[in-house]
Amino acid sequence: MMVNVCGHGLCESCVDLLFLKGSGACPECKIPLRRNNFRVQLFEDASVEKEVDIRKRVLRDFNKKEEDFNSLADYNNYLEEVETIIYNLTNNIDVVNTNKKIEQYKRDNKEQILKSKGKLGRDEYELEELLELEKQMEEARKLEIQIEEVESKKKKIREKEALIDELMFSNADAKNIIDTFAQQVQQEKEEKSKQVPAKATQFSTGIQFGRQTQASFLPVPVDEGPLYRYQSITFTTDGPRPPSDYELTNKGFINHVRAETEQERAGGFKSVIACKRALQDALVGLFHTKKVATTY
Amino acid sequence: MFPTSTQCKFWMFSSEEELNKLRERANIKHVQIYGRQINDSTKYDFFLSPEEEKIMVKRYELHLRDFCKRFQPPMPRCVVGTSFHYFKRFYINNSVMNYHPKEIMVTCIYLACKVEEFNVSIQQFVSNIKGDREKATDIILNNELLLMEQLNFHLSIHNPFRPVEGLLIDIKTRGSLHDPERLRPGIEHFLEKALLTDAIMLYSPSQVALAAVLHAASKLQENLDSYVTDILFGEDGKGKLEDLIEAVRGIRSMVKMADSVLDKNQQKILDKKLEKCRNPENNPDSEIYKRRMQAMLDEDDDLYHAISAQNQSLDNSALNMSIPDSPEVA
Repeated sequence: MMVNVCGHGLCESCVDLLFLKGSGACPECKIPLRRNNFRVQLFEDASVEKEVDIRKRVLRDFNKKEEDFNSLADYNNYLEEVETIIYNLTNNIDVVNTNKKIEQYKRDNKEQILKSKGKLGRDEYELEELLELEKQMEEARKLEIQIEEVESKKKKIREKEALIDELMFSNADAKNIIDTFAQQVQQEKEEKSKQVPAKATQFSTGIQFGRQTQASFLPVPVDEGPLYRYQSITFTTDGPRPPSDYELTNKGFINHVRAETEQERAGGFKSVIACKRALQDALVGLFHTKKVATTY
Repeated sequence: MFPTSTQCKFWMFSSEEELNKLRERANIKHVQIYGRQINDSTKYDFFLSPEEEKIMVKRYELHLRDFCKRFQPPMPRCVVGTSFHYFKRFYINNSVMNYHPKEIMVTCIYLACKVEEFNVSIQQFVSNIKGDREKATDIILNNELLLMEQLNFHLSIHNPFRPVEGLLIDIKTRGSLHDPERLRPGIEHFLEKALLTDAIMLYSPSQVALAAVLHAASKLQENLDSYVTDILFGEDGKGKLEDLIEAVRGIRSMVKMADSVLDKNQQKILDKKLEKCRNPENNPDSEIYKRRMQAMLDEDDDLYHAISAQNQSLDNSALNMSIPDSPEVA
């Protein structure tokens, strides 16, 4: 059976016959229909079919999501309103006014409708995810079965070959040999059947039992071991202690080097750096002697 | 920092004797390898003796100094100092007969230019060399890696020039000397000579610098002894003063000895002798060297051919594999 927006059923050949031109009136309620709007009837009751159709159409425009409302009460009122509209249309109550209402809503919420169209609700999203997962599991299962089949085929061949070899080269009675092989196969089968199938945690489609929680996060890695402790570097000078930064300016070392130019200062250079380096180089290693090392 | 440097760890020696022993060992090793058929008593008729090697090295150090002085564009002092270090280090473990000092000398300078961030291109560099520049380019670039390898890739050098600046700043700040800038010509002269000696491998750069400052002061009849003992060493270095005094004395005496003039006649004889006994494998004019270079080039080519052939065969095998898979053929 085929059905159109009005909800009156027609068989396929009748549709072909009556709607040859592409459009025409419903033979029961005389509503103008289009041929390409016909589809296979899914529900026994045609009025349900009609309701589904209307619902689809109405929800295309009334596509606000829960997030779009300030409070749950608002959202519920909105849903109530939508349901009323759908009910009215399905049962032909106040059709003209209801249609007007829809038009009005459409006009008022043009932008909102367009925006929401692209957005998938949370529910839809979850559903899609589930489908995707299902698909993957399906594929994995197929592969497993394939491999299993190949394995078992190979095993059969191997067993056969072993049997033939045994028959060819063994001196024992042929009948005995066949018997023992048959027994072996039987045994293996029994063993296999004894193996308890793994406890099912998911449907055959690969969906897990129970409602899955949202994608879980990895646990935050915990850094074990002692905390870093700062140790000031030891400064091997092998000579007298060089003056500190403070002493460089305070004791006037700095007065005997060229002051940095403005451009140099812009680049991060200060004459203290050069002064300090020169003094360090001058003092470091003054105690150096290789002789001490050789006396040890 | 000098005390943590590779220079301090690996390239400072305890005495001139130690250095001479190492050099002698390099000489003996070379003679042993290349002079098996010559008996011991006459081997130095053909080969250079350790003493003669030392004279050669000394001579090329003078060449190095002059080359650096004439170099265009003028090079900073630290490049010269670093080149000297490289050159000396190289001939501690290598014989003059194995690698000609003329070649190693220019390579040392070229490498020092790079390490001390004195940017000259190889073209610019060889334009300072008389004679066949292309050949010089080849020699330098071929020897560069060898040199670095022999230096154990210990390339950073602490020269005494910055310590001198530091000491002058310190003297101006804490000392009582009138116009320390007067010391500069004397210091520079002293350091130039110090580079020609082994002092830079026996004493730390700051010690050499201090010796230079003290020497320059004494030349001007000034006395910095109280500065050194009271201010420079002061509290920190009570027990160390003796070592330092000895070090300074050692450096100054070594520098004094650096002035010895070389005998020109003897040099000519040595040059001829070296020409005869040098290792032909490392002589760019010899047939063996040219053949070896050619062989290395060929090897590279062969390697290239081998690799490309291998790739070719891989391609082919991949093609063969794909034929039965393709539906057209099947």
